[in-house]
Amino acid sequence: MSNYIPTIGVEVHLELKTKTKIFSPSENGYGKMANSLTNEIDLGYPGTLPTLNEEVINIGIKAATILNCKIRKVMHFDRKNYFYPDNPKNYQITQDRTPIGYDGYVEIEVNGEKKKIEIKEMHIEEDTCKSAHRGNKTLLDFNRAGVPLLEIVTKPCISSSEEAKLYLEKLRELLTYGDISDCKIEEGSMRAEPNVSLRKKEEDPFGTKVEIKNIGSISNVVAGIEKEIERQTKLYDQGQEIVPQTRRYDDKIQNTVLMRVKETGNDYRYFPEPDIPFVVLTDEMIEEAVKEIPMLPDERRRIYQELGVSKLNANKLVQNRPLSDYFNELLGEKINHQTASNLLLGDISAYLNRNEKDIKETTLTKERFIELVNLIDNNTLTSKNLKEIIIPLLEEEKTIQEIMKDNNIENITDDTEIRKIIRKVIEENKDSVEDYKNGHERAIKFLMGQIMKETKGKANPKMTMDILQEELK
Amino acid sequence: MKDKLSREELLHVAELARIELTEEEIEKYQIHIKKLLDDVEKIKDVEGYDEEQLIAPWSENTHLREDKIGEMYDPKEVINRAPKHSGNYIEVPVVVGESEGA
Repeated sequence: MSNYIPTIGVEVHLELKTKTKIFSPSENGYGKMANSLTNEIDLGYPGTLPTLNEEVINIGIKAATILNCKIRKVMHFDRKNYFYPDNPKNYQITQDRTPIGYDGYVEIEVNGEKKKIEIKEMHIEEDTCKSAHRGNKTLLDFNRAGVPLLEIVTKPCISSSEEAKLYLEKLRELLTYGDISDCKIEEGSMRAEPNVSLRKKEEDPFGTKVEIKNIGSISNVVAGIEKEIERQTKLYDQGQEIVPQTRRYDDKIQNTVLMRVKETGNDYRYFPEPDIPFVVLTDEMIEEAVKEIPMLPDERRRIYQELGVSKLNANKLVQNRPLSDYFNELLGEKINHQTASNLLLGDISAYLNRNEKDIKETTLTKERFIELVNLIDNNTLTSKNLKEIIIPLLEEEKTIQEIMKDNNIENITDDTEIRKIIRKVIEENKDSVEDYKNGHERAIKFLMGQIMKETKGKANPKMTMDILQEELK
Repeated sequence: MKDKLSREELLHVAELARIELTEEEIEKYQIHIKKLLDDVEKIKDVEGYDEEQLIAPWSENTHLREDKIGEMYDPKEVINRAPKHSGNYIEVPVVVGESEGA
């Protein structure tokens, strides 16, 4: 166990889901041919002027609202100056002094207790071009130059790698649901950079901060933080000082390696971007943007559970946005919502995954799904039957009744008929009945088997069992 | 008021601009750049000086562009304009260190 208290902050960069770039009308796209999504603004040609994409502001307002941030109504952009080939105009347009959102929080649950991860600020900026180092050359792709980014910075209030993980998972869930970003770490549309420092006691000032970059997954954020805590603990134990530095996580050796030591404070010579006048947000703009926010995950979970869906199913539904959206259309229907969730998460999900389909691409309309839920709920269809007809149910236009007929599913659901058969079987198997009454539980299975034989397996099992137990009393 | 920048200050500025200077130039620019800075400082003497006015002299909202895809360059045009390219990528000498940007 470490004798030190870790203090962790996390910076997250997200690529925003817009059609065009932040300051130019070039397409904002991923996975296209290199340098095919550019114009003179993205390439930093002299004499060009940026024009701010309204959708970026719209998304910024939504993100700030989702993360419980205060929204700055009058803001401007700043130039962050540095030389590097990923940004040929030699400055990045960002928001240094007037971030669009500030003082927010994300609520996580740590070991059953709620904790607010405080957000210091979130600001809008442009992405740089993508550079790849190949031997003695560096290759540049400007498709990414000017892609709108949102940078979200927490306060140093995270106290473990587990909390950092929960924060990032929650952030990803919220912002994907809010249609802010795809939040795909592996594609670089979400990049997380934790910073770690240690101190002995809560009263002590913060220790020297070390940043970790280049992390390709949430599990590596956890690993990176843990390795860094380990490294700093060892140094402190040896009486050494921590040098302020940036490290990167190397997946191959599963450890962090030094990237650069920060010799002096960064000197980016920020100054207001003179080509973009003030951005003034009106109440209408804010209201319009907020209206577009879809129902968020926590609210979905709460409503699902109120409708009788188990916590497990509610969570699973929320983890699958298309299914959750489909389920949301059924919230007002008088159906057994737990049965509906079982159906969606069971055979239907299995089919969708197998065929890499979205539920909207199937023939399962809302009306048909409701009918299906009711058929299962009143035992007309068994789970075994469902498996038999799942493909036609999702691929054919026929009615459920027709599909059942095609597959010879004609369950006996008339209880008087079932009761007649049960009484006959009881009459013919007095020994087994006697055994059952003497406490031999297994005898009931034999009786069930006889009934199924009589009905050629068409009696609804649950209904049959209920009546059988009643008759045996 | 000092009449020139310190040697360290000037060298710092030169480093930021990635410029190598000779001893002669260092001495010359210590004075020149200080004078330039003093001239710019004079803006603050203007009556009613307000930093915000330097961002934009009017308070009207900036023009926001509709999120609609416009004209883009042919990638061939882009790479042919660069001094060197490799496939569809623009090639530059290998860069040591990491970007300061996002």
